[in-house]
Amino acid sequence: MAFGKKKSGEAVDPLANTPLNNIMDEVVDLKEQPIPEGHHLLEVDDLHMFFHTKDGVVKAVNGVSYTLDRGETLGVVGESGSGKSVTAMTIMGLIDMPPGKIEGGDVLYRGRSLLQMSEREMQNVRGNDIAMIFQDPMTALNPVYRVGDQIGEPLRIHRGYSKKDAVDRAAELLSMVGIPNAEQRVREYPHEFSGGMRQRAMIAMALACDPDILIADEPTTALDVTIQAQIIELMQEMQKQNGNAIIMITHDLGVVADIADKIMVMYAGNPVEFGTADDIFYNPIHPYTWGLMRSIPEQVTDEKKPLTPIKGNPPSLVTLPKGCSFSPRCPYATDLCRNQVPLTYTLPDGHYSKCHYALDPDFIKGRAPENSRTYAGGNPRVVVDEPAGAPVAGMAKQAPGTVTAVDGALAQHDTKAASAEEGEE
Amino acid sequence: MPETSTVADAITYTPDTPLTAEEKAKLEPSQRGNDPLLHVEHLVKEFPVSSSIFRRNSKRAVHAVNDVSFDIYPEETFGLVGESGCGKSTTGRCLMRLINPTSGTVVFNGEDVSDMKGKELKNLRHDMQYVFQDPYASLNPRMTIGELISEPMYIHNEGGTPEQRIDTVRELLKVVGLNPEHINRYPHEFSGGQRQRIGIARAFALHPKLIICDEPVSALDVSIQAQVLNLLDELQQEFGTAYLFIAHDLSVVQHISDRVAVMYLGSICEMSDWRSLYAEPCHPYSQALLSAVPVADPDLQRSRERIILAGDPPSPIDPPSGCLFHTRCPIAQEICSQEKPELREIEPGHLCACHFAKPFPIEGSSIKL
Repeated sequence: MAFGKKKSGEAVDPLANTPLNNIMDEVVDLKEQPIPEGHHLLEVDDLHMFFHTKDGVVKAVNGVSYTLDRGETLGVVGESGSGKSVTAMTIMGLIDMPPGKIEGGDVLYRGRSLLQMSEREMQNVRGNDIAMIFQDPMTALNPVYRVGDQIGEPLRIHRGYSKKDAVDRAAELLSMVGIPNAEQRVREYPHEFSGGMRQRAMIAMALACDPDILIADEPTTALDVTIQAQIIELMQEMQKQNGNAIIMITHDLGVVADIADKIMVMYAGNPVEFGTADDIFYNPIHPYTWGLMRSIPEQVTDEKKPLTPIKGNPPSLVTLPKGCSFSPRCPYATDLCRNQVPLTYTLPDGHYSKCHYALDPDFIKGRAPENSRTYAGGNPRVVVDEPAGAPVAGMAKQAPGTVTAVDGALAQHDTKAASAEEGEE
Repeated sequence: MPETSTVADAITYTPDTPLTAEEKAKLEPSQRGNDPLLHVEHLVKEFPVSSSIFRRNSKRAVHAVNDVSFDIYPEETFGLVGESGCGKSTTGRCLMRLINPTSGTVVFNGEDVSDMKGKELKNLRHDMQYVFQDPYASLNPRMTIGELISEPMYIHNEGGTPEQRIDTVRELLKVVGLNPEHINRYPHEFSGGQRQRIGIARAFALHPKLIICDEPVSALDVSIQAQVLNLLDELQQEFGTAYLFIAHDLSVVQHISDRVAVMYLGSICEMSDWRSLYAEPCHPYSQALLSAVPVADPDLQRSRERIILAGDPPSPIDPPSGCLFHTRCPIAQEICSQEKPELREIEPGHLCACHFAKPFPIEGSSIKL
């Protein structure tokens, strides 16, 4: 490699002579270019990425589609092994090909296909236009480099900062993400940081080049709830300041409740349900989404109900079950489910689900879990400490009694669409 | 000013009249008038730290557990909650003498644990088992799950002939929801949730009286977590085992526990039965913990009040003066940095270590969750 042959006489500092500086030369900054008409910031269109292993073909990403605009947050929810991280890594071009292979679909960033880009162009995109925060801050930071050098690295690579400027900017970024004494802290090593601080450092690193899209892969799973709340708040704040888009990958629906605009629920490489946060939380139409919701312990003070977990384990992606991949674990599965792969059923507002019964209100009614909106009428169980009859904020948006469980998901969508139109006028 | 009673008074509750068996079964396990299965008093664990090799005798120490007292009753689930580094796992390990406490008493089943040696200790561990946090690290990769689950029986020379032991293992696998045919498989062939089931089956192999569950579900996905929680619940009803359930997620602890203690920096700051703790958390730290749990409901999540604590817990090497929580407390006053609040009973069975808990609340000291 040319990198290794570079002459470095005295001090051995691999960061000091970063050869990657050169890749800036003739590449245009994609971020500065306008989004072409009719395109979104990021468009993932029916993406298929399979791993060809000696045990068989692993269908890790099997038909994922979504669009994302600046300032938006997409929550990607699913169990481990459902393909959430692999989808993100495919977008970033971080999957080794082979064994990975794109089997179809495309990823467009500002109208340009990321999958067609050369490695050199991708290097310019990574960290600069699309940045990623990894799950485990303990392993994602390099233990032998100072935190400041690591945060400054993208600036040196993409912006051509000098080493000193990069460290100074790293200190600013660190104090921006809420780490006290940032000037001293940049000179410390990752082991001197606590878990929450490491994750903050990761966020600072990801935001260094002011990216368009921030992909956060389970950013809080390794952290305590109190620190998790801090990190989520920080990401929201940063988004408000920079206007970037966020793709938040998590297995806990609660984490994306107040941050996501759109949510995609994934199961076995498939997006089984996609919609706005309201759709997913208040009108879920896929039994897997219901299962995820019922698995979360409710905060109650009167009586404990046993949890209703999803039975069994996620299937192996090599030998997917015949028919709907969720059918072996679905409590409502019928022969149709076990034999035929469901199509994607889309409601008028773009909320879609891969379930044979997605458009059947009778099926959904009574089976979908209750939530604060279906309790409309002031059920005291909704909020701890809430006196009976008192309206809960947020519920006031709907007149009590108008919405029963999901009394015709379509009917309710219509009213929503109508009110949206009124707003536009 | 109402009388404040000491910890010891509050945790031994005796009903006035003897109860019938039926009435007893309806009560919380701690109120049935039974003697506690485990009694912990003033437990302290300090780990000495030597700042440099030249000053090896320096008195600095990590105060991991600092004067912790509680009781666990038969058939009860006692939850221990707190952030990482607050000493909850160290407490669990001290109880089982996996590490030796610096001082304090631990009485299990009427016997003092602290001076046990050899055979006594082995017998203690027969009745007190441990489920570890990381299902990937706590199973020996070179043993089949049959060997893993039957190992406690070999060690304690129980369970009859090898054939009978294998039958017991098959039975246990069935109970925890695994296929008995998989008895000869190795841990790597199982998923995280299944491995945690193996760990639970191993803990139940000797029908212990108490199982210490150290974050048994925090490494698992929510859907699998619910499976394991339900399993623990079912096993408790079947075998009448008591649990010490250690976790950092309050919603999980609430779901499984009868009584809950919240720990901060090595000390218990609030202890109560789960109902009153969740309905009326009195310590600002408990309130912060409760409000940090995300609710899977955007309307509620946006509308409810939240306390987001700043920063990380202070170092347990130099704990703050006065109230340990005053450096992060949203309602801290002058007295908090000077005087350490006592863990006092604010309501029957509800203990709280805060100067401003009932009956002296200060304005805005509690939030509506």
